[in-house]
Amino acid sequence: MHQAATTVHVELFGVPRLLAGRKTIAVAGETLGALSRALLDACPALAERVIDPRTGWLTEGYMFVVNDRFSRDPTFPVAPGSSVLLVSSVAGG
Amino acid sequence: MHGVHGRYLHIDLDTGSVAEHPIPEEVSIRVIGGVGLASLLLYRWAPPGVDPLAPENPLIFATSPFIGTGITTASKVAVVTKSPQTGMIGDSLSSSYLAIALKRTGFDALVITGKATGWSLLVVDDGRVEVRPAMDLLGRTPDETAESVRAALGSGFRVAAIGEAGERGVRYAAISNDGRLAGRTGGGAVMGSKRLKAIAVRGSGLPTVADPAGLARAARDLAARSLGPGTAKYRELGTAANLAFFNRIGVLPTRNFQQGEFAGAEAISGETLFLEHRTDKHACAACTIGCEHHYRTRDGGSERTVRLEYESLFALGSLCGVDDPNAVLRAAALCDDLGMDAITAGATVAWAMECAERGVDLGYPADEIPRFGDADSLLRTIEAIGRRQGIGDLLAEGSRRAAERTGQGSEAWAMHVKGLEMPGYDPRKLPTLALGLAVATRGACHNRSSAYDIDFSDRLDPDAEAQARAEAAAAAEDQAAVLDSLTICKFLRHCFDDLYAEAAELYTLVTGVPATGDDLRVAGERINNLKKLFNIREGWTRADDRLPDRVLTGEAGLTHERLTHLIDAYYRVRGWDADGRIPEAHLTRLGLTDLL
Repeated sequence: MHQAATTVHVELFGVPRLLAGRKTIAVAGETLGALSRALLDACPALAERVIDPRTGWLTEGYMFVVNDRFSRDPTFPVAPGSSVLLVSSVAGG
Repeated sequence: MHGVHGRYLHIDLDTGSVAEHPIPEEVSIRVIGGVGLASLLLYRWAPPGVDPLAPENPLIFATSPFIGTGITTASKVAVVTKSPQTGMIGDSLSSSYLAIALKRTGFDALVITGKATGWSLLVVDDGRVEVRPAMDLLGRTPDETAESVRAALGSGFRVAAIGEAGERGVRYAAISNDGRLAGRTGGGAVMGSKRLKAIAVRGSGLPTVADPAGLARAARDLAARSLGPGTAKYRELGTAANLAFFNRIGVLPTRNFQQGEFAGAEAISGETLFLEHRTDKHACAACTIGCEHHYRTRDGGSERTVRLEYESLFALGSLCGVDDPNAVLRAAALCDDLGMDAITAGATVAWAMECAERGVDLGYPADEIPRFGDADSLLRTIEAIGRRQGIGDLLAEGSRRAAERTGQGSEAWAMHVKGLEMPGYDPRKLPTLALGLAVATRGACHNRSSAYDIDFSDRLDPDAEAQARAEAAAAAEDQAAVLDSLTICKFLRHCFDDLYAEAAELYTLVTGVPATGDDLRVAGERINNLKKLFNIREGWTRADDRLPDRVLTGEAGLTHERLTHLIDAYYRVRGWDADGRIPEAHLTRLGLTDLL
């Protein structure tokens, strides 16, 4: 039986937070790819600089952190209750 | 060989003598320039066992083949000496116009030894060298000093200067130029010990490049890539963007590394600073990235605009428990004005704050003792350090020496490696970085390995074994050594598809010397071994490759045992013996034996 995708509160950091004007966005999805597309729908301000509107996936400068695991894999599964962060993929400084 | 002058200048302040020395082409190729060249000159010029603050300790400024060629971000000068903080190699880089002016003097490096009879200004104008009295510059900030010197000498001069911290021998005093700093490891204290307030350089002679048209094309291409996603964070928000994210994942050093999360993080986050304090951004000379974000105080007091990076932000903010952004900005400005490393300044104040919290008697009046979260006491203490007044005289020694003098168990919370205070990454959850900090030749440094890149990525499984992390840390160190020797900014590192191959292509276009990516990779390994060799000569032992006990309690899996495994694996990857020493055959393979 198909289960409805879980809602995840994606926490935004850096430029995504400034563009969105908020710290979290609640979206539904069972993979990072689905979350990325849902984020774009929920917050068009992320288009181009953070999420490529043609693919619905993150631009090169960003990545997700799911329960302390860093990932740029759109098939990465997101379990119910996961902590998901959207951050710059460039570390340090 | 194009791109270099093939000679350096030795200036002896004891006698006032000046001598040119050749740099044979084969030597230039093997150590590249920048940190590599300066490390070799340090090995040759520093008498074994020399006191870092003795006249005989050389202070070395080195340029690279890439400076002045139009290659973006390459205007950096390497400053290398035996560090008064660590007693080992101290290498720093500082960006902008000074590097170009120094290269124009007609020399690839300056080696300064001796001690002037009085406070002095060293002037290098093309090949002419002059030592002038500089008593009138004492007490001035580095920026004020540069302004005075340039006004006095005329156009075209660029100035490196120390502030009061360097004059008074604060062990982590910096050398400043063009609003930038060679910040870490105490080069400013060495400069001050030589009674040098400032160095002014000017010149007219850049060396030729081998393939000007090819280089112009390649440089344009790299400049275009420097505006891509690999630098977006630095351009748009700056390194201050790290703070909120690091806090969220629990790696933001807080209250002297007692915690990895700071309740006041939001108030001093990069996002908050951007919205409420940022004024504009600047770029160093010949840089297309423009990462330098400036922020203005808004507390009703006299307005102050200051450049702020993540490292200053964490050290003067969460590490000291201070969540007042105006106070952090004023503290950063004070460090700049006094001319000292904000990381060590903040970390040493944080050590004193923990002493106060634990009831340790520091031997100074209560109103001089800084307290966690007390912004006024932070500002007061930084000023006292820069002038070596009261408790500032103790803290000017850095946390290791201050703890040794204070005793009462306070060594346990002096958060340093080899005497250099830890940067803004809590290593408990970052095992590759932890290894990089433990083994780095200049002490606890995130910039000589960038090993955190591995931890902040999906390249290694969190449970990856020691061997994989050791390989990653060593590879990151070698890459950093190449960047520091070509004097390319590390913020450019994500703009290459194949850093070594593309950098080798640029190197050949500049110098005319055929080079492959593998040649550069080996050069990076050679330079790291050279730096290690200097440390071994100065008394390094395996016991120096360590982390403070506080971060080895097992939280997130980092223990003494795990760090030991990581270090063992790192030595194997490096081809060193179990004590971390370099076998003679290894030195020969790297082409180091006949260089020394």
